[in-house]
Amino acid sequence: MTTLRWLVFGIAAFAMNFPILVTLSTSFKSARELSTNPGLWVQAPTLDNYLAVFQVTDRLNIFLYLFNSLSVALIGTVLAVALALPAAYAIARGRLGERTLLPFIVNLRAVPLIIFAIPLYMMFQWLALLDTRLGLGLILSIVNLPLALVILVNAIRDLPGELDEAALMDGASRTQILFRVIAPVCRPAIVTSLIFGFITAWNEFLFGLMLTTSKAVPITVGASFFFAASGGGVQWGVASAVMVVGALPPVLLGLIMYRQISGSMTAGAVKG
Amino acid sequence: MMTGGGLSAAGHVDIRHGHATWAPGAANPAGLAMFKTCQMQIGSMTKAQQRPLVQEFRLLATPVVVFLLVFLGFPAIVNLIYSVSEVSFETLRQPELSGFKNFAAVWSDGAFWQASWFSFRFGLLTAVLECALGLFLAIFLSPLIERRSWLMAILMLPLMVAPALVGLMYRLVLHEFVGPVPYYLWTYFGASLSFLGPGSAFWTLVVVETLQWTPFALLLFYMAYQAIPSEIAEASAMDGARSHHRLWYIELPLMLPTIVVALLIRFIDGFRVFDNVYVLTGSGPGGSTASLSIYIYEAFFKQGAIGKAVAASVILFVVSFAVLYGLNFIASRRKGANR
Repeated sequence: MTTLRWLVFGIAAFAMNFPILVTLSTSFKSARELSTNPGLWVQAPTLDNYLAVFQVTDRLNIFLYLFNSLSVALIGTVLAVALALPAAYAIARGRLGERTLLPFIVNLRAVPLIIFAIPLYMMFQWLALLDTRLGLGLILSIVNLPLALVILVNAIRDLPGELDEAALMDGASRTQILFRVIAPVCRPAIVTSLIFGFITAWNEFLFGLMLTTSKAVPITVGASFFFAASGGGVQWGVASAVMVVGALPPVLLGLIMYRQISGSMTAGAVKG
Repeated sequence: MMTGGGLSAAGHVDIRHGHATWAPGAANPAGLAMFKTCQMQIGSMTKAQQRPLVQEFRLLATPVVVFLLVFLGFPAIVNLIYSVSEVSFETLRQPELSGFKNFAAVWSDGAFWQASWFSFRFGLLTAVLECALGLFLAIFLSPLIERRSWLMAILMLPLMVAPALVGLMYRLVLHEFVGPVPYYLWTYFGASLSFLGPGSAFWTLVVVETLQWTPFALLLFYMAYQAIPSEIAEASAMDGARSHHRLWYIELPLMLPTIVVALLIRFIDGFRVFDNVYVLTGSGPGGSTASLSIYIYEAFFKQGAIGKAVAASVILFVVSFAVLYGLNFIASRRKGANR
């Protein structure tokens, strides 16, 4: 039985990670090997593709794409948490907007984002925010808002009310309580929403595609530029290397996040 | 989208697990159900004492409300105005009211209905496949994962990669000359299939989506499964229940709320799919793989049909919010009934 379980695990892990494995293997193939060996195994591994990726040309600049992704993900994440934390406190403790604001923002997570993309495009044109990192970051913070809010509301609700009351007795205002008492205690939840937000924002594609053209292109969109055949067709090795580089930051962060999840798994098991 | 959706996935999991995951009516990941209520912190104070407090809370919630009004409220109004106007890229600032022409154009557009049908079918199929596979894997592999939690990290890896990049990766995987799948199929089975042709593109996309997002269902179900108290298993074993009976009559019913929630989330994300489909097939062949999101995108950016695109997005807006609030309503009613 255990053997069967391992077999199933192996097949599932292989199938689900198959595109990643293929891309990784292709990124180490030379141009010559690519034309003769489409298989998974690399016969003569080479780093040429990675060297080629980091060669900046007029048309393709991976450093710019990576920098753009980093900046928009940071703006989108930090802003989302900065907006969500006070609101979460007002919702959890003041019971403000529990039946209006909270469901509305939470529903945003489930709505097709394209609904807002077109008017935002036109609005950004008026505000000269098209193709800017700030503009894309602002929108990504909307994408991140629902999740950050839910995480923080739940975290604050789990805190004992005595915490607030004691500070109130000492004459602290709610705002002071939020930043001096609640925020420090909620640090794990804040970090979690930052990490999830960063990964979501880094991986976002639709708004990057619509709202940027050259200066603020994020890596998810930039990677597709490498697939636009120029002259000699798609350079598959180089394109693969781009995808590996573009996928690496969220994957690494995800492994950190994974630990947090297993931590909350055990916590949940205790509670359950 | 999926994105957005991406990793938000695991976030839900985290939240979810803060509470008794398996209990009916527990906080659910998409927040589609109501949250548990908390005790009134200020219940003991008098009205006069409360007022400044409420004001301060209002102040704290103001930034997010203003932000949403500016970046969603204003665009929503623009959307509404443009949907009943004659407008082009040249006349963006002077839209001319034209009644419901745009809606009529969308309504009579075969491509709109084709895209709606694609989105619905795609969402439903992928949701069911992902949840069925995820449920099987979660229960069957749990003895392995319990002892080695890093196995879960391997299974979760696809969730961390941008759906757009996964779509691009499949361009490589399925490529007729450099892709390993056609190569192995040809070498070992002598078969040469067209994966992105008219008949097969839809199914290829279903497989691509399912393989990337099954881990999400797997993770949710694994944690719901783990949260079932061990006393229940012990008690039923004492009563002489066989393991498949226990699964069918005790464990699966306990996991049912999680299953419903997972189906719902995955349907929603499948319905609004954009990234991987867009980079893998565009909308082709012949518009057969255009989801609603892609339909709206192409109407706006490729055809310049602003009125049509905006009208379609208003329809989608109204329908989505109606459905979501309907679900919220049902969830809160059910929660009330359970009490």
